[in-house]
Amino acid sequence: MKNKLLFLSSLVLVFIINLFAGNIDPYYYTILIYIGINIILASSLNLINGYTGQFSLGHAGFMAIGAYLSVSFSTYFAPFFIDTFGQGVFGNSISFIILLLIGGIAAAIAGIIVGVPSLRLKGDYLAITTLGFAEIIRVIIQSLDVVGASQGFRGAYIFENGMKAAMIPADMSSVPYVFYSVPKYTNFFWTFAFVAIIIFFISNLMSSSYGRGFLAVKDDEVAAESMGVNTTKFKVIAFVSGAFFAGIAGALYGHFNLYINPEDFNFLKSVEIVVMVILGGMGSMVGVIIAAVILTILPEFLRGIAEYRMIIYALLLIIMMLLRPQGLFGVQLRPKKKK
Amino acid sequence: MSLLDIQNCTMKFGGLTCVDSLNTHVGKDELVGMIGPNGAGKTTVFNIITGVYNPTGGDVLFKDKSVVPLKPYEVAEIGISRTFQNIRLFQSLSVRDNIRVSFVKSIKAGFFISTFHIGNYLKEEKEIEDKIDELLDIFGLLDVRDEYAVSLPYGEQRKVEIVRALATSPELLLLDEPAAGMNPTEKTELMSLIKMVKDKFKISILLIEHDMKVVMGVCERIIVLDYGKKIAEGNPENIKNDPKVIEAYLGETHH
Ligand SMILES: Nc1ncnc2c1ncn2[C@@H]1O[C@H](COP(=O)(O)OP(=O)(O)O)[C@@H](O)[C@H]1O
Ligand SMILES: [Mg+2]
Repeated sequence: MKNKLLFLSSLVLVFIINLFAGNIDPYYYTILIYIGINIILASSLNLINGYTGQFSLGHAGFMAIGAYLSVSFSTYFAPFFIDTFGQGVFGNSISFIILLLIGGIAAAIAGIIVGVPSLRLKGDYLAITTLGFAEIIRVIIQSLDVVGASQGFRGAYIFENGMKAAMIPADMSSVPYVFYSVPKYTNFFWTFAFVAIIIFFISNLMSSSYGRGFLAVKDDEVAAESMGVNTTKFKVIAFVSGAFFAGIAGALYGHFNLYINPEDFNFLKSVEIVVMVILGGMGSMVGVIIAAVILTILPEFLRGIAEYRMIIYALLLIIMMLLRPQGLFGVQLRPKKKK
Repeated sequence: MSLLDIQNCTMKFGGLTCVDSLNTHVGKDELVGMIGPNGAGKTTVFNIITGVYNPTGGDVLFKDKSVVPLKPYEVAEIGISRTFQNIRLFQSLSVRDNIRVSFVKSIKAGFFISTFHIGNYLKEEKEIEDKIDELLDIFGLLDVRDEYAVSLPYGEQRKVEIVRALATSPELLLLDEPAAGMNPTEKTELMSLIKMVKDKFKISILLIEHDMKVVMGVCERIIVLDYGKKIAEGNPENIKNDPKVIEAYLGETHH
């Protein structure tokens, strides 16, 4: 009940702030949106790596699937969305909810395909399969002309003869066309509404008795199984939910940036999300949110040395492991000495 | 009809036979002790019953159905629960939350209801909480229910493990050296507590104990293992005077 009230009032708050968002300097507005998207990404990975104790290393892959699928739909099927829902605030909102869900559900289905076989195996297969999966997704997108391949994707050309393409083919240069660019649907409201949703989702689930199953899997799989917890099922649920929200984050990103490139979802992006989770403290919701904020803002100050981001992340992780292995905000789980 | 039937069970690891053609059973409402020197194969028997290991030979029947093809969580679902010799509590959870895990399998609220806290969510959570408190009270752990389970003294951690196993509502409870690390008075107290729990909840218990004296008072029947073989079985009086048992234990003290 308390959670529901908090959730609804934060939605209202986000809505009100959004009314004044036009006054925010565009540079800061962009950072704000990226903060929101990164909070969704980091929190969703926290569900897998933090609460459930698995190690997924390919979150950017799910983000890519969400972004590309959702943006493909909003451009290639732009006439359908416009005809059906119109272009008013209300119609756009309906269209965008559908597009976000398309991104999320596509990523969740990919999560089932990747997760079910690798989570059934004992041992650390997940890290290697997810890493491979994300790279495969990126390579596939790089060779898919329908979404612009390695050139990136800005929108769809719909020709008078019914042909559709991401670029104008040489032999079609004389055919009239309409170009549907990616609609700028993402704003402060949608981004932070989903921040609120994922926080509500995680805190509700993790505080329930059912949610203890995830934490039990993290702490001790053998004991969890012996108490009747189907550990594979819980791992899959965490993994697929995490993938779903990563897909949503990708859809939000695509409809904000209006241009997506396979390199936006490379290994570095996956590592960045992992670092947010580790830095914030695995399984600490507030910690991971703060880490996502810090790691979104930090590169803005370090623009000159952007190429060294990987090294900086590695150093951060090493320092962290030495000084605070539980993360900035994680709880120290060493048993208290007691007589 | 016995609740648990171990039929000609064998467990080999490579060339090593840890359980050798074991035949025994546990009846309804029985409290059976399993004793034997270190390395006799007692814990391995538990791991076979609970689906952690698949026996290399023989079968284990629970209520006339084989548990061999089942996964550990399925074994728990059909009503067998256990504790661990080397305590395995959930380290990031409080005492109460450790026990809440045992309700995951029986809870009506699934993923959806637990996410939105709708329907009977609150009512069910309250019921679970009450059941947990009732169990904790029996074991004198109510005061420490909000502490991290792993922060408790050893003896209390063992009790939390018993409560956690009991909370799955088993018909058969397997206790692996529940009194290990306790002093003689604590051990005796724990044994009478276990007997009381058995009667109160009308369950069967198979209890491993390294020290023969501890189980003599409470167990109706005792199984003695040595080098994976059952060397004796019977009531405490007979076991105490069985020359093979005396030899196995004497042999051990010379190690
Ligand atoms: N997974 C395993 N692989 C190899 N040997 C094992 C394994 N599990 C148990 N053993 C061996 O089985 C024997 C019996 O062990 P255990 O059942 O733990 O004895 P107990 O509980 O009676 O002290 C020991 O020699 C032990 O080393
Ligand atoms: Mg043992």
